Amino acid sequence: MNSNRSDKTSGKAEDKADVQQGTLALMILKTLESMGPLHGYGIARRIEQISNHLLSLNYGTLYPALLKLEQEGSVASDWGVSDNNRKAKYYTLTRAGRRQLARETHEWEQTAAIVARFLSSEGEHS
Amino acid sequence: MKSLRALLVRLAGLFNKWKRDSELTVELHSHLQMHIDENVRRGMTPAEARRQALIELGGVEQAKEQYRARRGLPLLETLAQDVRYGLRVLGKSPGFTVVAVLTLALGIGANTAIFSMVDSILLRPSPVPNAGQVATLATEEIGGTYSALFSYPDFQDIRSQSSALFSDIAASMDFHPMDGLSIDGNLQPIWTAYVSANFFQAMGVKPDLGNFIEPAPQQSLDAEPVLVLGYAYWKAHFGGDPQVIGKSVVLNGQHPVTIIGVAPRNFHGISSLVDIQGYLPLGMASVAGDAGRDFLIDRKSADLGIYTRFRSGATLASAKPALAVIGQRLAAQYPDADKWMALLAYPLVPDSPVDDPSGMIIVQVAGAFFLALAALVLLLACLNVANLLLARASAREREMALRAAVGARRIRLVRQLLTESLLLALLGCAGGIALGLLGSRWLGSINLRGNLPLVLDFQFDWRVFAYAFGAALLTGIVVGIAPALRATRGNLNDLLHESGRATGSVSRRRKRSLLVIAQVGGSLMLLIVAGLFVRSMRTVERSNLGFDANHVLNFTLDSHEAGFNEAQARDFFRTLLPRVRALPGIDVASLAFAVPMDYTLDLAEELNIEGYQPPKDQGEPAVGYNAVTPQYFETMRIPLLRGRGVLDSDTQAAQHVAVINEAMAEKYWHGLDPIGRRFMMAKAPKQPIEVVGIVKNCRCENIRGPIEPYMYLAFAQQYHTPVTLQVRTSLPLATVNHEIVGLVHSLAAVVPVSNIQTMTEGLDTLRGFLLYQIGAALAGSLGFLGLTLAVVGVYGVVSCAAAQRTHEIGIRMALGARPVDVLTMVLGQGLVIVGAGLFVGILAAFAIARLAGNFLSGVSPLDPLTYASASVMLVVVALLACYIPARRAMRVDPMVALRYE
Repeated sequence: MNSNRSDKTSGKAEDKADVQQGTLALMILKTLESMGPLHGYGIARRIEQISNHLLSLNYGTLYPALLKLEQEGSVASDWGVSDNNRKAKYYTLTRAGRRQLARETHEWEQTAAIVARFLSSEGEHS
Repeated sequence: MKSLRALLVRLAGLFNKWKRDSELTVELHSHLQMHIDENVRRGMTPAEARRQALIELGGVEQAKEQYRARRGLPLLETLAQDVRYGLRVLGKSPGFTVVAVLTLALGIGANTAIFSMVDSILLRPSPVPNAGQVATLATEEIGGTYSALFSYPDFQDIRSQSSALFSDIAASMDFHPMDGLSIDGNLQPIWTAYVSANFFQAMGVKPDLGNFIEPAPQQSLDAEPVLVLGYAYWKAHFGGDPQVIGKSVVLNGQHPVTIIGVAPRNFHGISSLVDIQGYLPLGMASVAGDAGRDFLIDRKSADLGIYTRFRSGATLASAKPALAVIGQRLAAQYPDADKWMALLAYPLVPDSPVDDPSGMIIVQVAGAFFLALAALVLLLACLNVANLLLARASAREREMALRAAVGARRIRLVRQLLTESLLLALLGCAGGIALGLLGSRWLGSINLRGNLPLVLDFQFDWRVFAYAFGAALLTGIVVGIAPALRATRGNLNDLLHESGRATGSVSRRRKRSLLVIAQVGGSLMLLIVAGLFVRSMRTVERSNLGFDANHVLNFTLDSHEAGFNEAQARDFFRTLLPRVRALPGIDVASLAFAVPMDYTLDLAEELNIEGYQPPKDQGEPAVGYNAVTPQYFETMRIPLLRGRGVLDSDTQAAQHVAVINEAMAEKYWHGLDPIGRRFMMAKAPKQPIEVVGIVKNCRCENIRGPIEPYMYLAFAQQYHTPVTLQVRTSLPLATVNHEIVGLVHSLAAVVPVSNIQTMTEGLDTLRGFLLYQIGAALAGSLGFLGLTLAVVGVYGVVSCAAAQRTHEIGIRMALGARPVDVLTMVLGQGLVIVGAGLFVGILAAFAIARLAGNFLSGVSPLDPLTYASASVMLVVVALLACYIPARRAMRVDPMVALRYE
């Protein structure tokens, strides 16, 4: 099942890329794995930092993706209080989520390797 | 798995929306706040921090919308929205809703009722598994007639020679007198079949309870006194008690039989119209007196139907040559008995309620014909509702424009309007099914007047519901699509700027008028067809039958059911008749084997007529007969033309005599005097019968077609059960009933008296008037429905047009038009519509009446009187429908109308 396409490019900065289809879920899962339970804002921040601020997440992209993961059982959510005392919903990776992360990581690495090899071989011929 | 889980969660997401929405708001809010906090920490002013955060995060409302779309199932949600909104809209205009739903309910109900009948007769699957492999055998006889009856020796020969073709070959004797079953001393009539032991195996059915008749070793004929009950009979007479297995009952007064099983619920035997109530072993037939003593060896007593199941791989077509060989071999071996040209196999499915294939076609055509009429009624109903919706569409144009203006796409609006019309249709469907149930109960309750247990349960099975539902869906779309497209087409700008008055363009009014023309035409067609059926029924009922059915009462007496043998029965009837004649108020009384138009019994016999040579390619002629006591011709008032009637002196020992009808005299003794001439019956070749009298032709066997040769033998010289006592009296049935039944029971307490009715009632049988009455009633009710719908349609269009022209009428009147001018103007518009409809309807009726001609008798399908009277009726009613709005328009006060702006 594909998540909804987020076709709104943030008009502010041309250098900021839109999140690629299907990769956002992987990034969220990875973030939760490395950071532990986290709220939506934290997830967005972390993804932006890791991407070196090349990616920006608006609400309309992030929350439906989180909802989808929750519906699929990969993450669970619960209300909590943030460091600076704000009420926030914390997302946790479930066991199913870990399995999904492992699987998708593997698939993604494979794809990346193939594409990389493909591109380099292409270079050799030209 | 994952997506299934997500789907379930999303389904759950449809509920509890408010709480989830508020949670999302909180979550988004805290996200924004954290972002702002972060920006502030980086050194922005609070206002700048907020601005940047908002820019980066995008619109909150859009995000919520995207979130919601993911949370629930948007398609379902908008559907629920549409349904809720649609219900509210319909609830707001209850008048419109009630009329539309009722209209559709009538249309769908008529269809459902008629479909349930067609379904139960033509479509319901045979209870026989793999019925496609089951065939029934028939022979083509010399002379081109077909027979599906075989003798027992024939059955044995065919069975032994066809084992390569059939895995099972079974015989069943269905046509014999009604039997009586004494259950705990209580005598009940029972319609039985005598079946060969492998009958149920060949049919492939399993007993509902107990066992079936088992094949005996060495295929010897089984005469074990056992009985398998039909399901309905078991329910009716044993209360569905499972303890009946092993119970002993008495057949025909003196033959104890043991109940060993119950047939499955929907298995009625071979015919789909007659319910076999009990199955007995074939060998019991002669024991119980339903077949001759020697029917096991007599090749001439052909009473058995043969049913076969093909071996896998064999088909009707592949079996044909082999069957032909068997047939020819037997015909050559036994030329006296088996006068066969060919041995044929017919498929059992579609299991035919009528014996011959051509009869089946009539049933199918009749079914299709009435379904078509019912569909026409539904179409008229659709037109009506479409018309109403069109009218509403103009009133709702602004609403639609407004919704379009705030961003609804056209497809969304069309979907909304279609949802509304589908809602109407579904409500109509519910009403229609209720009406249909009533209708089919009425159809099922038609009194078929006879002892035959007919299978007429027009149950609503899934097919009927599917049909009604499908009709409703189709109706909803057909009715809704045009108005929906119409209402959403308008140019936003124009519409929103228009004044509040609903205008209704000329083209729209024209479209509505066209609909009404189609409606008037369709209903005229229905009316004409109905008229033809009613006229046909009247003609048939008034036709001269050749006898006088008035003041004749019938009582059927069955000494066979009571277990009387021939001598006992003769004694009983000899004593009974003078006692009946002596009762006060009885003018004449007589006994007869058959009454006119009785369909339970077909007495006919092959004759060998002295001096008559049948045409070369034909066998001996078969002639229908009755056997009657003296005074019969007085009771029935059949005029004697020459010679004498049956007399008391025509006893068993005397010369056998016959009184013949004119047709018989004409056909077999053309130009000669038949009196004193002789003939023999094929079953009694040594007993010559002398013609002693000629009576006028009368219709005894059929209401239609030419009158066939027919003869009346002497009651004392023949034997048959049951017989019917007929009395002519001016007293009503209720008065005489008790005396006669009391008299019968004082002489023989066990003899059942049945079919107590007047002769006039006795004519309402399948052979008599019944089909005409059913046809007339069906067509009449459909015609009436059509007329009602057309009137509603005409009224709707004319009154709506008049209302829309109130302003114009006001101006006209202000400028000096008289009320009469207004009246004629409005009426004129209606007249044009009705006139055009008449034209269309008459043309359509010409077309369909040809089809109806198949079922009509005594009236031409182009009968001008029917056409004229139906047209006049429609015009009068339609004009009345126009007159009401016209009068209202005439009374318009110009001042009020002008201010009405």
